[in-house]
Amino acid sequence: MSQILENPRGGCVLAGVNSVLCAIDKVCPVYHSGPGCCMQTTAAEQGQSGHKSGCFVSGVSLPSSNMLEKEVVFGGLEKLRTTIQGAVDIIDADAYFVLTGCTAGIIGDDIENVTDEFRAKGVNVYPIDTPGFAGDSNLGYEIVWNTMIDRVIEKDVPKDDKLVNIFGIIPYHDPFWSGSLEEIDRILSKLGLKVNTFFTKHQNIDVIRKCSGAALNIIINPWIFKGPAKKFEEKFGVPSLRYSGNPIGATDTTEFVRAVAEALKIDNELVERVIEEEEDYVYSYLGQAIGVLSWKRFAVVADATNAIGITRYLANDYSFTPVLVVISEPIYREEDKQRIIERITKLEYARPPKVVFTADQFEINETILSEEEDITLLVGSTNEREVASLKGIQFITAAFPINERLIFNRTYTGYRGSLTFTEDIYDNN
Amino acid sequence: MAEKKYSGVRESKPGRINDLGGSSKIIEEDFKKGCLKRADRSFSQGLQCQQINSMAALMSLEDAVFVSHSPQGCVGCTIMAVDMYRVGQAHRGIKNIKNPRIIVTNLDQKSVVFGGENKLKESVKKAVERYNPKVIFIYASCASGIIGDDIDAIASELQKEYESAIIVPIHCEGFKSKVCASGFDAAFLSINKYILKGEKQPKQKGLVNLFAPTTVSYADQLEMERMLELIGAKVNYIPFYSSLEKIKQIPAAEASTSICKVFADEFMKTLWEDYEIPYSHTVMPIGIRNTDKWYRGIAKVLGKEKEVEKIIEKEHERIEPLVKKIRNRLEGKRVFICGGTGRSFAAAALIDDFGMKLVGLETPTYDDDAQVDIEYLNKIHKDFVVDIANMQPFEQVNLINKLKPDAFIGVPEWTAKFGIPTTHVLDGKRPTMGYDGLLYLGNKIADQLENPGFNKKLSKHVKLPYKDSWYEEDAFKYIV
Repeated sequence: MSQILENPRGGCVLAGVNSVLCAIDKVCPVYHSGPGCCMQTTAAEQGQSGHKSGCFVSGVSLPSSNMLEKEVVFGGLEKLRTTIQGAVDIIDADAYFVLTGCTAGIIGDDIENVTDEFRAKGVNVYPIDTPGFAGDSNLGYEIVWNTMIDRVIEKDVPKDDKLVNIFGIIPYHDPFWSGSLEEIDRILSKLGLKVNTFFTKHQNIDVIRKCSGAALNIIINPWIFKGPAKKFEEKFGVPSLRYSGNPIGATDTTEFVRAVAEALKIDNELVERVIEEEEDYVYSYLGQAIGVLSWKRFAVVADATNAIGITRYLANDYSFTPVLVVISEPIYREEDKQRIIERITKLEYARPPKVVFTADQFEINETILSEEEDITLLVGSTNEREVASLKGIQFITAAFPINERLIFNRTYTGYRGSLTFTEDIYDNN
Repeated sequence: MAEKKYSGVRESKPGRINDLGGSSKIIEEDFKKGCLKRADRSFSQGLQCQQINSMAALMSLEDAVFVSHSPQGCVGCTIMAVDMYRVGQAHRGIKNIKNPRIIVTNLDQKSVVFGGENKLKESVKKAVERYNPKVIFIYASCASGIIGDDIDAIASELQKEYESAIIVPIHCEGFKSKVCASGFDAAFLSINKYILKGEKQPKQKGLVNLFAPTTVSYADQLEMERMLELIGAKVNYIPFYSSLEKIKQIPAAEASTSICKVFADEFMKTLWEDYEIPYSHTVMPIGIRNTDKWYRGIAKVLGKEKEVEKIIEKEHERIEPLVKKIRNRLEGKRVFICGGTGRSFAAAALIDDFGMKLVGLETPTYDDDAQVDIEYLNKIHKDFVVDIANMQPFEQVNLINKLKPDAFIGVPEWTAKFGIPTTHVLDGKRPTMGYDGLLYLGNKIADQLENPGFNKKLSKHVKLPYKDSWYEEDAFKYIV
């Protein structure tokens, strides 16, 4: 069930699947779809996520069967076959994933038969048959991992009690994803862990194949990855730890570190030493610019994980006053909504803000414009610049979609990211 | 009158070809003899669908709401037009920058089985309740087309219910065309059918329709308007950054012209047939030759041939010494050009001003319009390679690797990784049109040739995704 949406954030499930695959080194999606899906899906995610896009293949370099009227009427499997063959012949990928667009889905082309033919010849070609109309891009993230669990990740990989897998930070759906993964990686590495981020450090399909050897799956997100986590544990015996919200700043990042350390029984002395070092690093900077941001009453419009992280940092660590938080992605399960609300409203000293769930731009704008309490800072996506300007308040882009700035490795996550976030909030006007 | 009405699908024109590669001389000959065959690619990379163009063309109309009858993914590319609209407002000095109102019906599994009519109705209702717009555009998609939602019938039913807004369905289903410019035609066909309705208006003296796509910067708009005003025209700048009122004014014009070769070219024919508005369809006004041609074209329609010659002479006096300076930096350099129909030929023409040699040209379609340009280019340059392709970077990199040009003009993403200096002819946020566009582009090319460090260093670190064996193959191997 998809909702009618004004100015939707991100693309269809195909867009989500594509962006996740594009972030894995040397993986090539092959589209069995209409002629515009490669561009549309790349633009919907990568094009709105700080202007970086998959370096290996993306947009119009993605192989595609470009289904036209002929294929709509007579079926497109022959076209798909020659398209896959061409991709295998010329593109130097470790694995190919055949994805379906609406056209292939509606006419019912059976892509699995074709991908089987290629795998029988020893080529790594996997099918992902989820046409665009099946859902939004968040679903795409879970679909990719379900496919990996079903078809790619190996069983009976030797266990490594220092290895962890990171899930929940979605490539190109979170504009800061690579910097965030790097910061998480940096912190966990200090605890002596080996970290699979899957999307940085040129990690590739081989890393995914062997990731069942991990000691723990760490999900940094309040709701995504419920199904895949269960499946992962059932099939490979890897338990998961969910940390609900992007950890931003010393308080939450330390809470995150302690949760991981406890789950993995890491030496307490090491853990406390790392925490002390990191917190000292943060506060030695914060101490050099006290009061320069003045004191704000703020609203946040963001996807759930970032809305939690931003609100908690600004309220708990920076003593800003939270007024309103809008969760701007569709959340379907009631239990997820409750978890999100709890994380946003259970604050240390600050009073709880209002929490509103809507992904519709008109409703988001109305919610902000009709808020009676004073708001002096709005943290949102590029889409909220309009409402901030109408209200005449300070505005900062910190959530998807962002198309007014270029983002490589910038992040607001973790200890160091919180300093960058604070820098970005500073406004001399 | 027996002639069939144009369907909006560019392939429906006889002799128009989308998949072709080879020598420019042979292609010119073959086209003359009528020997060019319509082909296909057995392997290809992604294209741009016509829906993207239909949306982009209108997204900056201020009184409109845009309803996409599709799953969520089909509005992905609107971000490019949305960005142009936002930046366009900033350039025009607007303080509170607006988002365009795009509502997606979000067709899902249920709609695929039971139809999406209710979602469309609900979306239009929201559009009216939220914004009370003057016009609502409904865009078809592959999905809505294949499941058979009759958007025309639904629109006409909704029109009875909501009288305050004109409801305009647009048939831009992606699977209908391989040529994305078809989407412009689909949009204009619907504008004519639902907004202009064939009703003639009294002519406004000197009024000229100037059709502009989203990729034209505000600086370029001002320059085009200035040039037209110099020959006595009052400009109706449409549809980029305009309004329903300006669209409604179209039939009152005395003449039409377009900034882009494949934008409103078919529509201008329709305007002649339905409203007797004469038009000029020439080239994209970039560089000396093309700007002359474009300027003379519209001047002729307006009966201002003498006046325009005086202006052109003056402009040449001003520009030519400056061009000479750039020529000294670029003469004899070998260049490969890739771009949309309008810009690729415009760029190919202007490199002649710099004495550069064309070694390769990649452009989406070949037809009698392209033939005119190729004949011209063949007279100046020795044989060069023509690749009729909507992007297809795998062919481009194969050709670049063989031809080893000194410079590349077009989307830089792939060629840059060979270490070859790259520049883009499409810079929709800055001035590129008119006589000065030549200087802007020329200096960009020369600067990159002079200082190619970024691409050279990049090429040592970042590899293209293709196997080494591909570079040994015939670039046109997959054209069948």
